[in-house]
Amino acid sequence: MQSFPTSPNVSKNPRPPLLSRKTKDGLGIALFLAPALILFVLFLIYPIIRSVYYSTFNWNGLGPATKYIGINNYIKILSDKVFMQAVQNVLVIIVCSLAIQLPLAMLLAVLVGRDLPGRGIFRTIFFLPYVLSEVNAAIMWMLLFNANPQRGLINGVLVALGLPAVAWLADMRVVLFAIFITLTWKYFGFHMLLYLTGLQNIPTEIEEAARMDGANAFQNFFYITLPLLSSPIRTSVYMSVLGSIQQFIVVWIMTGGGPVNASETMATYMYRFGFVRFQLGYGSAVTIIMFILCVIFSLIYQQLTKKPDYLTGL
Amino acid sequence: MRNKLFKLVSILMIAMFVLAAAPAPAVYAAPAKADKVKITWWHISTKDPALSDWKKMADDYMKAHPNVEIEITVLENEAFKTKLTTVMQSGEVPDIFQSWGGAGLSEQIDAGLLKDITADLDANNGEWRKTFAPAALAVFAKDGKNYGVPWDMGAVTWWYNKDLFAKAKIDKEPATWSEFLADVKKLKDAGITPISVGEGHTWTGMHIWSYLATRIGGEKAFKAALDRSGSFADPAFVKAGEELKKLIDMKPFQEGFLSATHDEMQATFGNGEAAMELGGQWSPSVQAANSKDKKGVKNLGMFGFPAVEGGAGDGSDVVGGGNGFAIGKNASPEAIDFVKYLTNKDNQTIIAASGTGIPVVAGAEAGLKDPNMKMVQKTFASAKYFQLYYDQFLPSLVGGAINDNVQKLFAGTASPEEVAKAIEASAAENITKK
Amino acid sequence: MQRVLITPKWMRKAVPRFFQYLILIIASILIFVPIVILMFGSVKTTGQMYSRPYDIPNPPQWDNIINILTTPAFWGMMKNSLIVMISTTTGTVIICAMVAFVLARLEFRGKNFIFNLFTLGLMFPINVAILPVYFVLRQITQMGIPLINTLIGVILVQIAFQLSGNILILKGFFTAVPTELQDAAYIDGCNNFDFFWRIMLPLVKPSLAAVAALVMIVSWNDLLVPLIVLNSNTLWTLPLGTMQFQGQYGQDLALISAFVMLSSIPTIVFYFFAEKQIVAGLTAGAVKG
Repeated sequence: MQSFPTSPNVSKNPRPPLLSRKTKDGLGIALFLAPALILFVLFLIYPIIRSVYYSTFNWNGLGPATKYIGINNYIKILSDKVFMQAVQNVLVIIVCSLAIQLPLAMLLAVLVGRDLPGRGIFRTIFFLPYVLSEVNAAIMWMLLFNANPQRGLINGVLVALGLPAVAWLADMRVVLFAIFITLTWKYFGFHMLLYLTGLQNIPTEIEEAARMDGANAFQNFFYITLPLLSSPIRTSVYMSVLGSIQQFIVVWIMTGGGPVNASETMATYMYRFGFVRFQLGYGSAVTIIMFILCVIFSLIYQQLTKKPDYLTGL
Repeated sequence: MRNKLFKLVSILMIAMFVLAAAPAPAVYAAPAKADKVKITWWHISTKDPALSDWKKMADDYMKAHPNVEIEITVLENEAFKTKLTTVMQSGEVPDIFQSWGGAGLSEQIDAGLLKDITADLDANNGEWRKTFAPAALAVFAKDGKNYGVPWDMGAVTWWYNKDLFAKAKIDKEPATWSEFLADVKKLKDAGITPISVGEGHTWTGMHIWSYLATRIGGEKAFKAALDRSGSFADPAFVKAGEELKKLIDMKPFQEGFLSATHDEMQATFGNGEAAMELGGQWSPSVQAANSKDKKGVKNLGMFGFPAVEGGAGDGSDVVGGGNGFAIGKNASPEAIDFVKYLTNKDNQTIIAASGTGIPVVAGAEAGLKDPNMKMVQKTFASAKYFQLYYDQFLPSLVGGAINDNVQKLFAGTASPEEVAKAIEASAAENITKK
Repeated sequence: MQRVLITPKWMRKAVPRFFQYLILIIASILIFVPIVILMFGSVKTTGQMYSRPYDIPNPPQWDNIINILTTPAFWGMMKNSLIVMISTTTGTVIICAMVAFVLARLEFRGKNFIFNLFTLGLMFPINVAILPVYFVLRQITQMGIPLINTLIGVILVQIAFQLSGNILILKGFFTAVPTELQDAAYIDGCNNFDFFWRIMLPLVKPSLAAVAALVMIVSWNDLLVPLIVLNSNTLWTLPLGTMQFQGQYGQDLALISAFVMLSSIPTIVFYFFAEKQIVAGLTAGAVKG
């Protein structure tokens, strides 16, 4: 963390008396923080507290909550097989993201590189899905994944290649994978951009020097480039995990969490039981559980990466 | 310098807010002019002709009643539900809004969000009440009190493609469940996909189960399960699952039916790629809209859900539903008068004529032009027992449990007994004994 | 001597370059497939879309696009979306820059607490917070400051939910500016806020632009906040506009495609021109490895 004293005594210039300066600075700092803090407390902190409150009620969302039930909602959620399935699905999405999506983003970032002619065009193309809305992405991929080879392009290609068609979204074993493909399409560009910005800052001389010393491209990548990219990688892993825990719109539109909960995420579970079925106390409890999971992950992650300001390297 | 900075920042922020506020300075803040009564109305008819029809009715009413101002908010179905849920938690409720009746309405009544309009219906010797079909009006009532009125009510029935039936050499509509299953087999043998279903939207397949339950157990079994003298694990409901499983085991559905949406189900049938589908009064219009040539099935037929041999239910019993308007707790007498206007015979005839809905006011059915709609109307009108869709009628958690668990039958992940037990577990927890 | 050196270098580069381009082009095609299908869809009928979504439209239904472009409602929504996007972006960038600067460059009591407080925002996304957020909006409205059914309401909530991520990102950029600059500034008699205004902001300007671009994308595509806050359709933003093609029993997929395609064009065009600056801006912050 950068530390610089508010009253830099190193200064030789005449300055106002220390006390008055400190008060003024305090006021200045407060003024700089005020707009953000006001909005943040109003629209985030207060809602979090309110959600904690609601989560202790059996409340259908109509009028004030009156049926206090303590931690019963939490007990019910944690003993619900469907919620556990959702947690499991989220874990699968996280593992796939870390094992497939992020390496893919890295590969493309390295290929686009720093000096390839036309790299700007590729960067723009790869970031395009991130610019489009999630609703957009979900509708497009639903059409692509249609089980009927005449309607779904992916199955059309599979059949043309002599392979059997797959009922992507209707098959409980592959639906999560289909969702993951969509998420990858939508988000890898963002991660690639993070890596690219990191790559831009690695001086070419270092790699040149290594090459002179006889390192091949792979050694160069694993021993030189990758360690120097540790900061954007930390950021992208963090963003990816939080994003997976909170994943909602794409799944909700494409499958609604089905068939039979096979693609349920915690957020679709929250939405179905909290919103659609008017159990807002229960839904609030799911929200709080998701929130706690994110906090726990952040704390562990900070410890693991030993960098309190894990995002500052972006 | 510092002052300059703050000035600049504050000017920027003020500018930003002014910019944001400019186009809409007074939409919310300004109360309706003292002499004007404001009515808020939320409906979900996003498309023409209904969209313009409603608008015109409101305009005409405002012209005739200069003291009334009607503010219409048109929302898409899902968005409407999300928004309504959000505003209701803070006790806010529009004066007039879309409702499907059933448990959703009942929960709003219990929360004191709706207005009792029984007296308005009964005024002048029940003048207004008498205009409605009783079964349709009952959908918006609880414990003998009315909180809303219907404007469309229909039935879920089998729609079929006559050409495909002829191709499979089926010469008459099945009257019993075993005939139905035999026809499914004939269709399969002829290389035709018998049924289009959209289990991505679980309620589409749930209707097959609920109809079977209605045919097998009749009104009695359902009412018993409801007042808790019986249960959803009773033999009638298990048997419904078993019969449905017989059908599912024949693999009669299109490819990818487990994730197909309701729109895709209608498109499959509308394009003539499946011989039958179970759907409500809206089916023919959606089939056409989603089909390649925008015309839908050329020779469309309809038959009621076949009777199950030995079942307690009558073959004319109907599962169905429709649309209505609920009246918010703060609704003014003007708002109620406006709803009365919306559902009068003339306006109901307009709704019928444009194919927006099946009218519920006596005499307006004459406006129906579409022969398919006339058939649905007759089916509804001749029902001795009318059952609102299970997932609408039952508390939302129980309705949800039915949809979720029946889907397991379609996916082959649970047995009929397990399905019935899971539904009963939810019912035991969420239906209070009367 | 020179010629001997040049030829092998060219040779050495040519083969990897070929594969480099090959993979990149394949990836680009995969990226484009869904987008092309959407573009095709926007000039088809809904029936064609459900039956043969990936055929080339024949004949193209230009009416879909013409009809949308000639409705005043579309342009009204475009205007609202622009107002919301510009205001949210301006507000977010200014507010976040102020906080990020204070957190990155100044020392004061409770700093860590405030920093950690802001990170909490990342763990509470808007789609799970919407109910209580509406409750707050309504209470403020009842106090006489109209936030419900106004664009300001939308803007404030959007800013609030953009704070956490962007404060964290901007803090990185501010931290990356060398300390020597700060020393020099103080020696010259700057106070903290001169330093922020005269030295820091110009230095991180490219990064601010990059953050602004990311905020713009989120604001432009936001569906939930405008849905909850706005009632009158004269105030609607573009993402709400697709509702007019979704009926209770069916949706007009072709018109939805046309509408979303038309409404994404501004951001795509913007991104196409600003791409270099965004990458450059984000790169500037990454010095700290």
